[in-house]
Amino acid sequence: MIKIANLSFSYNKETRVLSGINLEFDRRSTAIIGQNGAGKTTLVKLMKGLLKADEGKILIHEHDVSGKTAAQLARTIGLVFQNPNDQIFKRTVLDEVMFGPLNIKMDKQTAKEKAIEALKMVELDDKLEMNPHDLSLSEKKLLCIASVVAMDTDIIIFDEPTIAQDHGGKEKIRQIIQALKDKNKLVMTIIHDMDFVAENFERTIVFNDGQVLLDGETRDVFSQKELLKTACVEAPGITKLAERLGFKDTVLTVDEFINMKKTYSPPQ
Amino acid sequence: MKKIIVEGLKYKYPLADSLALNDVTFDIKQGEFIGIIGKNLAGKSTLCQALVGLVPHFYKGAYGGKVIVDGLEVKNHSIADLSLKVGMVFQNPFTQVTGSKTTVYEEIAFGLENIGIPRTEIIERIDSVLDLLNIEQVKDHNPFDLSGGQMQRMAIASIIAMKPDILVLDEPTSQLDPAGSEEVFQAIQSLSKQGITVILAEHKMEKIAQYCDRVLLLNNGKVVDFDTPGKIFSREDLEGYGLTAPVYTRVCKALGVKKAGTDEYPVTLEEAERVLRGDGA
Amino acid sequence: MKSISLYEEKASFVHDVDPITKLWYIPFAILIPIILPSFTISFLFIGLSLVLLLGAKVIRKTIPVFGFVFLILITVVLIQGMFKPENETVLFQIGPLTMYKEGLLFALTITLRVINIICAFMILVLTTKPSDLVEALVRKGMSPRIGYVIVSVFQIIPEMMATMSTITDAQRARGMETEGKLLVRIKAFIPLLGPVVLGSLINTKERAMALEVRGFNSQAPKTYLYEEKTYQFSKVLQIGMLLLTMAAVSWRIFL
Repeated sequence: MIKIANLSFSYNKETRVLSGINLEFDRRSTAIIGQNGAGKTTLVKLMKGLLKADEGKILIHEHDVSGKTAAQLARTIGLVFQNPNDQIFKRTVLDEVMFGPLNIKMDKQTAKEKAIEALKMVELDDKLEMNPHDLSLSEKKLLCIASVVAMDTDIIIFDEPTIAQDHGGKEKIRQIIQALKDKNKLVMTIIHDMDFVAENFERTIVFNDGQVLLDGETRDVFSQKELLKTACVEAPGITKLAERLGFKDTVLTVDEFINMKKTYSPPQ
Repeated sequence: MKKIIVEGLKYKYPLADSLALNDVTFDIKQGEFIGIIGKNLAGKSTLCQALVGLVPHFYKGAYGGKVIVDGLEVKNHSIADLSLKVGMVFQNPFTQVTGSKTTVYEEIAFGLENIGIPRTEIIERIDSVLDLLNIEQVKDHNPFDLSGGQMQRMAIASIIAMKPDILVLDEPTSQLDPAGSEEVFQAIQSLSKQGITVILAEHKMEKIAQYCDRVLLLNNGKVVDFDTPGKIFSREDLEGYGLTAPVYTRVCKALGVKKAGTDEYPVTLEEAERVLRGDGA
Repeated sequence: MKSISLYEEKASFVHDVDPITKLWYIPFAILIPIILPSFTISFLFIGLSLVLLLGAKVIRKTIPVFGFVFLILITVVLIQGMFKPENETVLFQIGPLTMYKEGLLFALTITLRVINIICAFMILVLTTKPSDLVEALVRKGMSPRIGYVIVSVFQIIPEMMATMSTITDAQRARGMETEGKLLVRIKAFIPLLGPVVLGSLINTKERAMALEVRGFNSQAPKTYLYEEKTYQFSKVLQIGMLLLTMAAVSWRIFL
């Protein structure tokens, strides 16, 4: 769906933020991890057309993004920003979610249907007439997710969706990601929460210093202990525990751990 | 020695319909490292702010009960007076930068200038906190040019320089990457080892389990429990309060293995490893 | 970090002058040519200011400012030169346009005044670190809170600009066209205001709390990280300017 070839970018002459990135994205849900400043957000902004590359190409559905404005790209690729307060523009929850669909020239009726459908997913459909700013922070975050989901784009990218979410909030986000995957959309996220990555994403890409350090099935990526250390990334807790106990295979979830534990006894 | 005593604390924000804190009672001894957990809106931030006087002095609102911090009753003392006893670090490193100073060094001096510390002592104190929080190498940088982890350590340094005996932190690492969080937790731990009483509100249960002596569990503005991490995370009703135990505890619960001779499940990686090894033997 | 301050750090004798003295220089340089309205005095002051700016090695930074000012002054010269009601004496003609002596002389007075004022301000702005000026004023008794507000504006405005660009990105990300014609830009600007205002209100509240716990409202007498800078000749310069002003006044009254 997305093809990135030899992509480089720098904000100023001295420091290169991204250099020589080659990536291809299929429909697998993908987590992008790495330290702050590794270039994750920059890559996403380039795909979204919010920044222009110095070198290289990004093709989405075979179309070069460099010829299009960010607003035009909004029909194919959605992005949920990290801070909800930067992205709430309207006075009611319903208007807020309809803002995107109306911008991409959906007719009013369809926009409303899509909006309500998206709000149902985040369980805010009982607050249509409320002022978004009266919602709690985690509700605002869910609202922002709904307002991108309603645009019904093929590709959806999240930037740190789980920050400041408690257990309940994370659970909802998990369900939304699952629902989007079921609709056969490409879901991508920038994230620091490794447990969440292990449980929800098929593919993981590790960025370090503006380059792709690791890329593959999440399980394989989290088995590369040494390389993860280079990128200052730690494997999920359960993976570390299994490894310390000498399990042969890389474990990603509590259930996997329990299954494996039954068929295995630790070395004496 | 009791460092903090909270007795029947009730508080309602102006314009709010319900109590943010409802009959909260507990006490904390000198040098303890205390974690505060609870789902969003359970009252964690409000409680933190009640310890430094922002509640009620900054917000006003209805206030009842008593909070005594190092001998001072919060209700009767100004935030500036309290700041000599108890310091607070907030969630967002960005909004804690004063914006009126151009270097990290000057930034740390801000609080000390306000409370009238003599010049020579200001310099001694800054030099020592720069070292303590390991940000010496950025002392001449502009505060806004730091990474999130460095900025948050600078915020802690700015507070610690005022020499409070008690440090309150409200989700200090929620905006940081794992490496930045780790830096901050290491710094807090080293302060705790020097005898500073630490109170930390946090969502990251693995960190709470690893670092805290005792954990205060809040729900709807009330104290549900206040006990060791082992006891708290072994509770069967955690999910009911919108919380999950650390992954190590969950896996041991599922396997039904407890720490030898106790009724508690392991809460850290090390404990879980020990127990699970022993289990197979 | 971008700062909106125009201050340029250099080593020069002008940089070494007490900020307060430079502050004094502004009313001094403005008042004298008003008290003694002659072209010679005006030229003298502009000359003095330019020498100081040259000495401070900041003359380059004044060019864009002067460029902008000249653009406005040219219109003043043209309008006054051609249309001032008192215009009588024809000086020269270019095609259908006639320039008069009275108007041009008047325009020259205005031009000299404006350049003089700008020069005097630029000496202060270009050679004084804003925080040094404010600290000097606070030591002289200005409220530290007002001082804080003035200094923080220099850093917090660039921070707000950064937020603006994030918000614009969020709009574009949801399909709103923000590039292109003026009308499109204006339309995009309106929804921007909500988040910007709200965001800065939230930030202000959080920052206010952070300042509080750092003793911002402490009653204790304030101390300073840096020793009070002692400047040579501050008193001499300040008294000198005062005496000259008094001399100018008495010249005007008695002679």
